[in-house]
Amino acid sequence: MNRRYSGLAALVAGLVVGATGAEPVAGPSFTAPEVRAILAHGPWPPPWQSDPSNRVSGQPASIAFGERLFNDPRLSRPGTIACASCHLPPRSFTDGLPRAHGLAATDRNTLGLANVRRQRWFGWDGANDNLWAQSLRPLLDPREMGGDLAHVAAVVRADADLRERYRESFGAPPSAADEPVAVDVAKALAAYQETLATGRTPFDEFRDALARGDDRGAARYPAPARRGLALFVGKGRCNVCHLGPDFTNGEFHDIGIPFFAGPGRVDAGRHEGVRRVRASRYNLLGPFNDDSTRQTATATRHVAAEHRNFGEFRVPSLRDVARTAPYMHNGSLATLRDVVRHYSELDEERLHADGEQILRPLRLTDAEIDDLVAFLESLSASQANSSTSRSR
Amino acid sequence: MARPAATATRVDSAMRAALAPARRLLAIVAAPAALSLGLPAAAAELPIFDAHIHYSHDAWDNLPPKDAVAILRKAGLKRAVVSSSGDDGTQRLVSEAPDLVVPSLRPYRRRSEVTTWARDDTVAAFLEERLARSRYAAIGEFHVYGADADLPVPRRLVALAKQHRLVLHAHSDADAIERLFRQDPEARILWAHSGFDRPDTVREMLKKHPRLWCDLAFRSEQGAAGKVPAEWRALFTEFPDRFMVGTDTFTPERWHYIVEHAHWSRAWLADLPPALAERIAWRNGEALFAGWTPGPGK
Repeated sequence: MNRRYSGLAALVAGLVVGATGAEPVAGPSFTAPEVRAILAHGPWPPPWQSDPSNRVSGQPASIAFGERLFNDPRLSRPGTIACASCHLPPRSFTDGLPRAHGLAATDRNTLGLANVRRQRWFGWDGANDNLWAQSLRPLLDPREMGGDLAHVAAVVRADADLRERYRESFGAPPSAADEPVAVDVAKALAAYQETLATGRTPFDEFRDALARGDDRGAARYPAPARRGLALFVGKGRCNVCHLGPDFTNGEFHDIGIPFFAGPGRVDAGRHEGVRRVRASRYNLLGPFNDDSTRQTATATRHVAAEHRNFGEFRVPSLRDVARTAPYMHNGSLATLRDVVRHYSELDEERLHADGEQILRPLRLTDAEIDDLVAFLESLSASQANSSTSRSR
Repeated sequence: MARPAATATRVDSAMRAALAPARRLLAIVAAPAALSLGLPAAAAELPIFDAHIHYSHDAWDNLPPKDAVAILRKAGLKRAVVSSSGDDGTQRLVSEAPDLVVPSLRPYRRRSEVTTWARDDTVAAFLEERLARSRYAAIGEFHVYGADADLPVPRRLVALAKQHRLVLHAHSDADAIERLFRQDPEARILWAHSGFDRPDTVREMLKKHPRLWCDLAFRSEQGAAGKVPAEWRALFTEFPDRFMVGTDTFTPERWHYIVEHAHWSRAWLADLPPALAERIAWRNGEALFAGWTPGPGK
């Protein structure tokens, strides 16, 4: 047996050598399938891949242009709100509010932007199929930045620095046509956001130690987090939806969170998102996709709304999750402990008998809740290694 | 798809027998109703008989009966089979719109009893008390699977349905449907969601059980993008009298989906021959529940 499998065998048996190497530390036993599931949450960081739908993806000049735009409040109609007003780097590019408030109140929690480049559908409802269209959306939403295509284009044309950065990115100064200029602005914004990535976490160190059979390295992972991980891939089966290196399947589910947005008003979630992405002029089937092969548009070509999508919302990534409170599409759960309690005491009355069949109340003890929270907290990088880091 | 003549004769004659009382009442009730039900301005739209509505406890406060009925009418529903957890919800809607609501008695006081009712000895007394107090067209929607259908509580439910001549609205797998029919071969069963089974399984069940009807609630595949796939088209054509649509308002929010669901249903039904579309949209529901007449409670 090589070293790797020797290490795995030790973990499966439930013994982890202590950090000093002298004393074994009792830990949860992982079955072989659980070990495979844990290894599937890495490696991290993943390799860079540029976005073929965005011709300036990965281009340094465009990344810098995008960062400049991201922090420029003039892109909003009254000149008061920038993208960065709601997407704050110390909070993993969220705002800490239950629901976002741009020029007016919105119905949804601000999603973080770290690792956003790895998504297939964007937003809580997946109403966009690419990052540049998703970046254009808040510029035009009257509740967020309140502009329009003409306003966005005019801001770039009117400022010498922005005009020069535009020329540097796209090879020509901004034209007189508003729509292509505004879409290019969105593509520069996307190029910048593609660089936002979470750093390595205590979990990643554990996972990689496990992969290489490094018992001492694995033993540095705190016991509560290890027990929480055992719940995550075991009794809780959380990894059925929160899977892979990003801890998300990238899809949409109904987890029993009420979705009234106000009296007599519902947030239809993914059901409306499917309608919008199919209708969008800025989807990957549309004229602004720089991927002439349209291979990037396959999912959009086939996506169709189902009844079950009504009230479904994104399965968010769990990376950096400790920094993105409050939680859920409407920010209705204040802390990670509240989130774990939600799954522990799941209100089955909210779930269809043939809907989310995996969901059953976990009935966790207080100690188990503590452990699961400890595990979730271990998915955040240290502040110095956090999502302000660039991925390239 | 053509079907063997022998099968057609057997199915049609059995169904005619099953619906004989219904047909007599249909002539009295349904025709005048079409003129007097106060269908909305969009009456030119295909009317819908929605076979799967719940008005459960968590909907009552934020959607009072008047508002709930307004949604049903806005959707252009001709009638709606309503069952609720608990039954007071159904009674409130019946009082508000007796012309519109076809009441069904659900064996749940709260929706969470979905998973416990079949082993809850208090359920039989609850059903008996309700049946003594109010009039119903059906019992259900209830959830029972496999051998659980033969437990004492479901058996009592089937017996009560037989005694009161009520349709059984069963959210079940095919095995449980077989068991329910063994308990009462003369039962009329509305199979919720068509069991979420594949068309070939549904076909076998419909062939075998002439007193089985299917609702299509919470299923999307038969009408995605307004087109009926070949396998469903064949099934609808082979059994034109056995299917009906339904929304399934299993949470309060889903009441705000009823109108869109009706539009969605009309879109895919338009892909079928008009006569067949009408049957699935409302005629089959009207026929199955024609024995129900609005009127004062017991």
